[in-house]
Amino acid sequence: MAFWIELAGSGLITGGIYALVAMGLNLQYGLMRIMNISHGEFLMLGAYLTWLAHVAFGIHPVAFLPVVALALFATGLLAYRLCFRRILRTSPSVEAIEARSLLVGFGLMYLVQNAAYLAWGADMRGYSFLADAIEFGGARFAANGLVAFGFAVAMSLGLIALLRWTLVGKAVRAMMQSPVGAQLVGIDTAVLHPAVFGAGLALAGIAGALLSMVYEITPGMGEPYTVTALIVITLGGLGSASGCLAGGLLLGLVEAFGMHFTSPSLKMLLSYGVFIGVLLARPKGLFAR
Amino acid sequence: MNADLRRTLSLTAAAALGLASVPWLASDFWLSLALTCVMYAGLAVTWAMFSGATGYLSLATSAFFGIGAYVTAWGLGTLPYLLLVPLGGLAAAAFAALVGLAVLHLRGAYFAVLTFGLGELVRHAITYFEKTYAKTVGRVLSDVPESSVVYLTVLLVTAIAVAACAAVRASRLGLALAGIGADEGRAQTLGVDTRRVKIVAFALSAFFAGALGAAVAVRWTYVEPSSVFNPFIGFQTVLIAMLGGAQTLIGPLASAIVFSILTELLRLQFPYAYLMLLGALLILLVLYLPGGIATLIHRPRRTDG
Repeated sequence: MAFWIELAGSGLITGGIYALVAMGLNLQYGLMRIMNISHGEFLMLGAYLTWLAHVAFGIHPVAFLPVVALALFATGLLAYRLCFRRILRTSPSVEAIEARSLLVGFGLMYLVQNAAYLAWGADMRGYSFLADAIEFGGARFAANGLVAFGFAVAMSLGLIALLRWTLVGKAVRAMMQSPVGAQLVGIDTAVLHPAVFGAGLALAGIAGALLSMVYEITPGMGEPYTVTALIVITLGGLGSASGCLAGGLLLGLVEAFGMHFTSPSLKMLLSYGVFIGVLLARPKGLFAR
Repeated sequence: MNADLRRTLSLTAAAALGLASVPWLASDFWLSLALTCVMYAGLAVTWAMFSGATGYLSLATSAFFGIGAYVTAWGLGTLPYLLLVPLGGLAAAAFAALVGLAVLHLRGAYFAVLTFGLGELVRHAITYFEKTYAKTVGRVLSDVPESSVVYLTVLLVTAIAVAACAAVRASRLGLALAGIGADEGRAQTLGVDTRRVKIVAFALSAFFAGALGAAVAVRWTYVEPSSVFNPFIGFQTVLIAMLGGAQTLIGPLASAIVFSILTELLRLQFPYAYLMLLGALLILLVLYLPGGIATLIHRPRRTDG
């Protein structure tokens, strides 16, 4: 029994991170169809920032979370200003925005990932943080994993609440439904849109910081998370924050149990299998009504 | 056959004949560089035939390329090399048709991500298969053909690919593809069987990517999933075609030569800095020259009028 709890727990911990990464990407894609394929690279930046702060200055990783979020938010504003704003202004159609932002995303991915290789090398990096095990009814979990899971779920729930019950959240949802309509009812999209894009990257940065507490990090770590985030978005439905949370946790569980019953080398096959299956059977997401 | 097409075909034949002399004129280094140029020219032109015309951004090139390469890896020794090349192409085309049946109704980012996933999917599947049933990670290719034979084969495949793309552009199929790119709903209303057209073109472009993979695989004496399914091959292809101008025929060809030379010269010495440069170039081009370099030379036909 304890074993199954541990297995489910490890799946949920990964799933929580997936949910957080996917929510960030969903914010960017839901608005104006910016397909930011370099999303995972910013997760990697968050992880490296946290690692650097901890190793060089001994800063507590959890205390450093707000700094990571702010730094990535600023990076997001910059990336938006330099790259994506022009695409939005010059593209003739939504499809063109999607295709061009995808290509720019690839460019950013090359740029950021290789800059990280250049700066920090290809070696695995890591630090020890709360590595003791905690027991729950016979099942043992690493404390850092629980911390990461707690923060990921809390952040996700916070975001869902923000979107659902605050005025800003309402404005963001309005903008997702119709950018022009939002402008007509007095929402300053020129301010809100970059801010939401930045918030998406901030979420990726936080996810990276949480990951660095649990796993070793490399400059190439971000890419698989981008793909996974897309799978989660597909599962949960475009533009749905609560769908992201459910989809992320579900995918984490599917991976954990799937790998247990087949083989760890099939992890990617499992995710893609789920992805293709959902796209074929329920292209609007599992929870679409 | 109209005059334009006849001119393009005779130019292609002349260029191929001229390039066929490279093995007797150049050193090994230049021969290998020429091989890379010709390979990317073939990949980029056939990618542009489907994705450039329709706007369906396929990132599956490395999947098709790898499938072709694995046909060679499995068949070399039992079947002649020259038979394996079309076989590799057919395997990739069959795979593309199957995948196309399932996913070609998706547009935009979903299609791009799904096709990117395909490469990874096939790579992991083959890795798993080889580990479990063949108890090996990679395969050593013995008695490979001479490098001049490989070069000439790749040149032949690319020449056929360019000719095929020129023929497609001048045909009803090409018009239908351009129509899908301009407005798929309208093309459908005007009586184009968009589903069939997309699958045929997707499979045709996969055929050439697979054949090129099968032909080039013998270049490496050791074939393993991570080298032949390298996503870099797919990215580089897309990059070359987009930078050159994916809606034209000459654009991808010209930029294939430029970028293959750049890659070979810079990538080994400054691997990370070179890729950063590529990334920055891609961003700048998409932002300021979305039609590719070819738009600087001549304006492409308006497709949105």
